[in-house]
Amino acid sequence: MAPPRYDSAISAASCSGSSSSSSSSCAAGKLTPPQEIDGLLADAGYKVRSSDLRQVAQRLERLETVMVNAPSEISQLATDAVHYNPSDIASWVDSLLSELSQPPLPLPSDLSDFSDLNYVDSLVGPAINPTVVNNEWTDLHAPQQQQTVPQLLTVVTAMEEDSGIRLVHMLMTCAEAVQRGDFPLAGSLIDEMQGLLTRVNTGCGIGKVAKHFIEALRRRVFTPQGLCSAAGGGAGSTNEYEFLYHHFYEACPYLKFAHFTANQAILEAFDGHDCVHVIDFNLMHGLQWPALIQALALRPGGPPLLRLTGIGPPSSDGRDSLREIGLRLNELARSVNVQFAFRGVAASRLEDVKPWMLQVSPKEAVAVNSIMQLHRLLGAPPSRNSPIEVVLAWIRSLNPKIVTVVEQEANHNQPEFLNRFTESLYYYSTMFDSLEACPLQPEKAVAEVYIQKEICNILCCEGAARLERHEPLAKWRTRLGEAGFRPLHLGSNAFKQASMLLTLFSAAGYCVEENEGCLTLGWHSRPLIAASAWEALPLPPLPDGSDPIRIINQNVL
Amino acid sequence: MAGSNEVNHNESKRVVPLNTWILISNFKLAYNLLRRPDGTFNRDLAEFLDRKVPANTIPVDGVFSFDVVDRATSLLNRIYQPAPENEAQWGMVELEKPLSTTEIVPVIIFFHGGSFTHSTANSAIYDTFCRRLVSNCKAVVVSVNYRRSPEYRFPCAYDDGWTALKWVKSRPWLQSGKDSKVYVYLAGDSSGGNIAHHVAARAAESDIEVLGNILLHPMFAGQKRTESEKRLDGKYFVTIQDRDWYWRAYLPEGADRDHPACNPFGPNGKSLKGLDFPKSLVVVAGLDLVQDWQLAYVEGLQNAGHDVKLLYLKQATIGFYFLPNNDHFYCLMEEINNFVNSNCL
Repeated sequence: MAPPRYDSAISAASCSGSSSSSSSSCAAGKLTPPQEIDGLLADAGYKVRSSDLRQVAQRLERLETVMVNAPSEISQLATDAVHYNPSDIASWVDSLLSELSQPPLPLPSDLSDFSDLNYVDSLVGPAINPTVVNNEWTDLHAPQQQQTVPQLLTVVTAMEEDSGIRLVHMLMTCAEAVQRGDFPLAGSLIDEMQGLLTRVNTGCGIGKVAKHFIEALRRRVFTPQGLCSAAGGGAGSTNEYEFLYHHFYEACPYLKFAHFTANQAILEAFDGHDCVHVIDFNLMHGLQWPALIQALALRPGGPPLLRLTGIGPPSSDGRDSLREIGLRLNELARSVNVQFAFRGVAASRLEDVKPWMLQVSPKEAVAVNSIMQLHRLLGAPPSRNSPIEVVLAWIRSLNPKIVTVVEQEANHNQPEFLNRFTESLYYYSTMFDSLEACPLQPEKAVAEVYIQKEICNILCCEGAARLERHEPLAKWRTRLGEAGFRPLHLGSNAFKQASMLLTLFSAAGYCVEENEGCLTLGWHSRPLIAASAWEALPLPPLPDGSDPIRIINQNVL
Repeated sequence: MAGSNEVNHNESKRVVPLNTWILISNFKLAYNLLRRPDGTFNRDLAEFLDRKVPANTIPVDGVFSFDVVDRATSLLNRIYQPAPENEAQWGMVELEKPLSTTEIVPVIIFFHGGSFTHSTANSAIYDTFCRRLVSNCKAVVVSVNYRRSPEYRFPCAYDDGWTALKWVKSRPWLQSGKDSKVYVYLAGDSSGGNIAHHVAARAAESDIEVLGNILLHPMFAGQKRTESEKRLDGKYFVTIQDRDWYWRAYLPEGADRDHPACNPFGPNGKSLKGLDFPKSLVVVAGLDLVQDWQLAYVEGLQNAGHDVKLLYLKQATIGFYFLPNNDHFYCLMEEINNFVNSNCL
């Protein structure tokens, strides 16, 4: 049967029985039954519990009455108020009511105003036990279906050209052959496709995409796996990677969107704190941080003391590149009168980092910033000590004020080769399409090489060597929820500023969307990158009353 | 009612199910925030609030979808099709073969509503509606993302509709039947219905074959205030005031509501007599304040000698077709199915 398309249009009856994701460690024996969401409203993009329908209707009535009686305040609501997570109608209406200085509680009016209109009964949810209404939406995220739908999100642009269609069909046939282990057939298809390529424009459109995917297939079929070293490349690749990354950063807005959105959220989380500490999981050239430093400098009330800990791979050429970047950032901070301290943590893999290396002080507000790093930890089979579990646990142990996570919005971590191939074909077709609008050279050409490397890693490498294990937002929500985090919603102000950022890029196809408190950036209707923010749920105290966080911080994991 | 400080909720909540009431009221209030008195529109907040969904080439409930961007115009069309019987073909987008070489598969070009200003082809409400249309009629649906007002006024939406029609007609993979042609119907709700009419009129003038029009409480207006507008103003989610705002945002600056765009059979309209205008199915919601204009439209078509069927749903409000929780929805689906799958074309 077709699985539901949305996270939470899952009835109580079909839940797998375990309690919902993030009530987790606080549940301590109390089991809140997952509340049923109105399935029809879910299909319209809204999450309202069936048991809440009447209350939500009353709040809407109240809001309308207030709006009618204060028309001048409506424009203020539209321009000044920050809106969050519009899928949650109840909380959206409440936030507007409180903006208009109205209490959000429903009036004790006559609930029987709404007649019980029984239309097609099977489409309305069954009667709900009148349990205590809990407004925490995180509790609603019932456990995901174990079988994720391989959502193939397509923006078909150039695929209609005849030779393009033929190439796509051949690519799929070849990928199927690879999956079956029929390398002779795969090989001959690759040769044939390379012949076809000469008759197609490989400078743009489907020709360009096909060129890259044929290359990936060629490497997989003809090149021994040994070339995929665990470090994802050979010696001297760190500098090369930084070069590619920088050009990708300049050629298209994905990384800028990531930095910008994360910085907004971090800035807000740091409000009111005098000592703040940002932990960057992948410092690179520190491109993200000048903007934050400047924003903190301009903060009303003055900047906090800012510590930045940058994690990055050890330099291959003997330079201490982390330190160099730290020095540059320090100079910038000094020039705007922000007290700044930098620490570099060199580690080839994120799972090699231990929390004590970060020297987090309990007095600081901590922000953990991960731009496309978490997916690299998904190589091992899930277990309590798998790298992702370990890292999420120590992030939690730092008791961060905010964790900003940006990941590719794609399902590239499926075990079956053919599924990975098809997904990545559509994903990168869309990305290449968006790149076509870039006027800058050599940025555009080098950005393509950057993307090519990702594609090859997804398709040619296995096991520990395959680092590009992108998973969709829905899966990250579950993972982070189970690890003890709850969402911090990104609102209409972040959305608006991200949209403004995009107007700096001439291409009209870039699109920011709001997705239940997260923001995605995509090309036309296909989201390609998702940004979210999280905070750690407080840990319950240990049985002897002691503070678990202190204990975890002292443990050497 | 205009001028009153008390909002009368009693009537609308007695005629629609609770979840429908919530859905449409939520839209109403959100839209109130977005329309500015000076005629500008808060597009940023609108895009933030709009619930969008991606296409999905893996069939869900027997329907799959994919998006095609027209390179020339940068406009998006979302194509919905019934799932292939053979599961091995799931996930592949078939762009080489026609839909069928034996059967006729209707292709419904759908223009979403939103009073020319709101929503997109990938808005959740419209994506879901189009999927239901496919399931119900075993048709292919092409949902068109037309440029919206007030940023793009008349005639942009009509031009985009026209472009979409020509695009659809020229796709070999949308052809069906023994004579390998694209069997096109135009459909739309609210402003989409208005667009469907004008595209059909242009098609008729240009000898491009459209087999039928489906207008779901189409958006029309005129300068005078009709009885239904006065009687139903503010009672069922819609006010005359908001209708006026949307026309001011779409029509050319300085035009009044007797402009042929909103009043095709009014004083400035062009005659459709003698043109090969397609048969029409016009659905009118009995609680829609615009109904007198819609009924005048039906009469206008009849006077011009064209085939029109009126489906008058007495107790229906606008948006009754968003949720399949009422009889009107099922009645509508049956009528549309008969309309596009009738034996005599």
